[in-house]
Amino acid sequence: MKAFQFVTATSPERARDLLGNNGRFLGGGIDLLGEMKEYIAQPDTLVDVKAVPDLHRIDQTDKSWSIGANVTVAELEDHPDLKSVFPGLQQAAAEVGSRQIRNVATLGGNLAQHSRCWYYRQRDVHCLKKGGDMCYARHGDNRYHSLFTGTTCISPVVSNLAIALAALNAAVVVQRGPNNLARMSIADLYARAWENPISQNSLDPGDLILRVELPVQNRRSAYLQVSDKSAFDWALVSCASAGGIQGGKLHQARVVLGAIANVPYQVQAANQFLEGKTLDEDNANKAADLMLQGAEPLSDNAYKLPIARALIRRTLLQLKA
Amino acid sequence: MPSWPEKHTYIGAHTRRIDGPAKVSGTARYTSDVQPSGWLYGMILRSKWPKATITSINLEKARKLPGIKAAILVRDCPRTVRYYGEELAAVAGTSKQACLDALRSIEVEARPLPFVVHEEDAKDEGSPRVWDKVANLSKPRLDEHGDVDKAFAECAAVVEGFFTTPVQIHNCLETHGNTISWTEEGLTAWSSTQGITSVRDGLAGNLDVPQSQVRVISEYMGGGFGSKFGPGVEGAVAARLSKEAKAPVKLMLPRFDEALAVGNRPSSFQQLKLGATAEGKLHAFQMDNYGTAGIGSGGVTEGGGGGAEIRMPYIYHVPNIRVRQSGVNVDAGSARAFRAPGHPPASFGMESIMDELAVKLNLDPLELRLRNDPSEVRRKEYRLGAERFGWTEKYRKPGSSPGPIKTGVGCAGATWGGGGHGTHAEAQINPDSSIEFRCGTQDLGTGTYTLIAVVAADLLGLKPEQITVRIGDTRYPPSGGSGGSTTAASVSPAIYDVCMNALQQLQERSSITDARGPNWAAACKKLGVEPLIVSGRWQRGLSSSGAGGVQFAEVRVDTETGFVKVKKITCIQDGGMFVNELTAESQVNGGILMGMGYALYEGRVMDRTSGVVLNPNFETYKLTGLADTPEIDVVLLDMPERGVIGIGEPVTIPTAAAIANAVANALGVRVSSLPITPAKVLAALGKVKPVA
Repeated sequence: MKAFQFVTATSPERARDLLGNNGRFLGGGIDLLGEMKEYIAQPDTLVDVKAVPDLHRIDQTDKSWSIGANVTVAELEDHPDLKSVFPGLQQAAAEVGSRQIRNVATLGGNLAQHSRCWYYRQRDVHCLKKGGDMCYARHGDNRYHSLFTGTTCISPVVSNLAIALAALNAAVVVQRGPNNLARMSIADLYARAWENPISQNSLDPGDLILRVELPVQNRRSAYLQVSDKSAFDWALVSCASAGGIQGGKLHQARVVLGAIANVPYQVQAANQFLEGKTLDEDNANKAADLMLQGAEPLSDNAYKLPIARALIRRTLLQLKA
Repeated sequence: MPSWPEKHTYIGAHTRRIDGPAKVSGTARYTSDVQPSGWLYGMILRSKWPKATITSINLEKARKLPGIKAAILVRDCPRTVRYYGEELAAVAGTSKQACLDALRSIEVEARPLPFVVHEEDAKDEGSPRVWDKVANLSKPRLDEHGDVDKAFAECAAVVEGFFTTPVQIHNCLETHGNTISWTEEGLTAWSSTQGITSVRDGLAGNLDVPQSQVRVISEYMGGGFGSKFGPGVEGAVAARLSKEAKAPVKLMLPRFDEALAVGNRPSSFQQLKLGATAEGKLHAFQMDNYGTAGIGSGGVTEGGGGGAEIRMPYIYHVPNIRVRQSGVNVDAGSARAFRAPGHPPASFGMESIMDELAVKLNLDPLELRLRNDPSEVRRKEYRLGAERFGWTEKYRKPGSSPGPIKTGVGCAGATWGGGGHGTHAEAQINPDSSIEFRCGTQDLGTGTYTLIAVVAADLLGLKPEQITVRIGDTRYPPSGGSGGSTTAASVSPAIYDVCMNALQQLQERSSITDARGPNWAAACKKLGVEPLIVSGRWQRGLSSSGAGGVQFAEVRVDTETGFVKVKKITCIQDGGMFVNELTAESQVNGGILMGMGYALYEGRVMDRTSGVVLNPNFETYKLTGLADTPEIDVVLLDMPERGVIGIGEPVTIPTAAAIANAVANALGVRVSSLPITPAKVLAALGKVKPVA
């Protein structure tokens, strides 16, 4: 990797000041260090934000939870209450990488991680996402790529946590400039990846994720993914569902798919369709039809459609339990 | 003819590795642990082009960078590179960062040339040629006997299928590499190798140094699987860097490089046809196969070549066969021997079509094997294994398991030669009763240290921990490479011979009639001040070749997601006289996990547009992990009358075939292409719509 300066920040404001023109924040480093080793990212400065107070806290009230960006994925996985309040988030955390990775990887880093497209990550391929002029995956080996391919870059979002958090109506609080806190939905956080092939999310240079806020709405949630392997593997497709159940009917349902679009994929019509419906296979399948309408599989990834369909149905039916 | 004693204390028992504590505590010294005084890092610059004429390489900037002590060209320019990752230049420096910076400062001028990386593309006449004067697709080699067309017409059942296996990368957990010091006195290489002698000879030949002045040391190493017999380009380069820098150079390849230039298992594309009589006897077989060994069958191999041909109809005898095989060159790194070269793809193809035939004949696939397998040992193993595995209870008609998550079972058999070869060894017996064995073999990771201690302890009436074992140094009496499952069968007889000679001489010098066990210390004491040095060599009659082995697999397949979970593997493996059952079982476990990788996860992915390898890491080149590991049930069939036989290879051969058959049994349709990914399972089930 290229030589860099290493500095430690003690507050979000200070972190921004230290960043300079070509700096990056360092949390767990799982994603960033990999990019630096491959010379994909070449920052002059790394600002360690692990010591920033309050970023490593989980605050719970009856109405909402606030989870600091430095909370590790393993801490989410192991949290005694999170598992009962937000089971979908716990399940998503437990599927991240390996235990060793989860011990180090942070919530903020998981949300802000970059593309895993194997062309993007290949050191000698200069693809669209790296500022090149072509997407190699579109007509190349795209078995791991998006199903919704109207975008120029087709590398999907791979953050497990983003998928679960989207279903849970989470808000992400971002330090954006001095005294400027931006509050974004998960959809906002990734919207730019849909428009701009170089972006993997909507964060500007200098933006620092501080925490995630989760409303407690008496909703159930579930997360499932299918990978090539049993563990320590990326999702081929992931899916999170959440909703409240009253009198056997589903309310305020949200279904979100991961690894099939460059944003956590939500379809308003599917959520609306589920409103007031009984949770059964038939309704779950209809929701899946609405979710997957307009999918444009590539040469090697049409298999993701049946997986997505199964996961939508299974996560929804898990809400019954 | 010498023979093993009938009564054993340690031979055939479960003996823990004598080097276990050293390995788990980190004191065992691997090549990357070696740090001779003043050592430098070495690194290699590789081609970014899958094919190009390299017109010039400028090392001047690299040489001037702080910390850089040497920079060399791998070969002079102009030259042609024929695959992404071919070695161009190398540097040595005082830090990793200095070397990385130096590699990036090297200016390479190249004229890119048209290339081809996929077998299906390369075999077309119109594709760019890897070698200008040779067609990519070799002329098929024909092996034919009987009247095949007539025989097929006589068959009661004929099945056909197209079966493919990918290029598999060795991906040893320890990467390839050496630490080399080359001075006027000669060359010392600490090498991650399965053949210290072949590395010595390779370096000596390559660098024009007498073999007597090259010393190769490999105390511990982390896997070779056939890819680590020679010094490789990286070894020769480390030596040249050391000479130029006048300092030892440690050049261990990064994981990335392992996918490019240090060997692989060739792919296969097998069009098969098999016919049987109404009685279920195999009658006719035909295969057309091609596969790639990269830019050419290459690399140093032992225990089988690195070529793309496979041995068909594998373990079966079919009276009428027609086999046509071709190799196809692509612009990718060369194949090398890989654990049972040629066998796993043959096993996958043949055992798959056998199961298809069983379906057509309405026979239990196990029964079809019992009727056709020519090996009495394997037939016995099938019966024993079926009993243990519960085949009769578990086997159902293909696809008849109820519900969306289906279970299935499958089985397959293996064969391997192995056998021993010339090995010399010596022992030094000291007056204080300590004893040290020296042998120029190496421990590939299979437990050779312990094997020697077990054999010696057993024959001398001592305990394994009383035996000091020194191996992995070309200064010791020579043995051969650890390949082809030959190490145990080569080394054990030599140790036997040393022990017999030692006892005879010790008894003579001490006048004690039986120097073993309780008399050992007294006998040694009588040596006075002069230790006893005895030598011995491999003897016929104590080892043999030819192992079989069968495996049964039980899988669970989610027909909605395509996910395959292996629940259980039962392995019945014959050897000869098992020296140490614990390390033998360990071999079986490793072979099965590797076979599972071949079945479900592994395969090199080349990009047609850029020519690069897309999965040069463990993130996307997927290996069997802990969570994937099934229940493994191992039965070792001890046959002491055969002497020592290695089993490192046969245990990995039938795993993929057994799993593939189990998946087909679960689904009622076959995934005929490895690896069996969720994508392929869903496609086989007709759940994936073809993309326009």
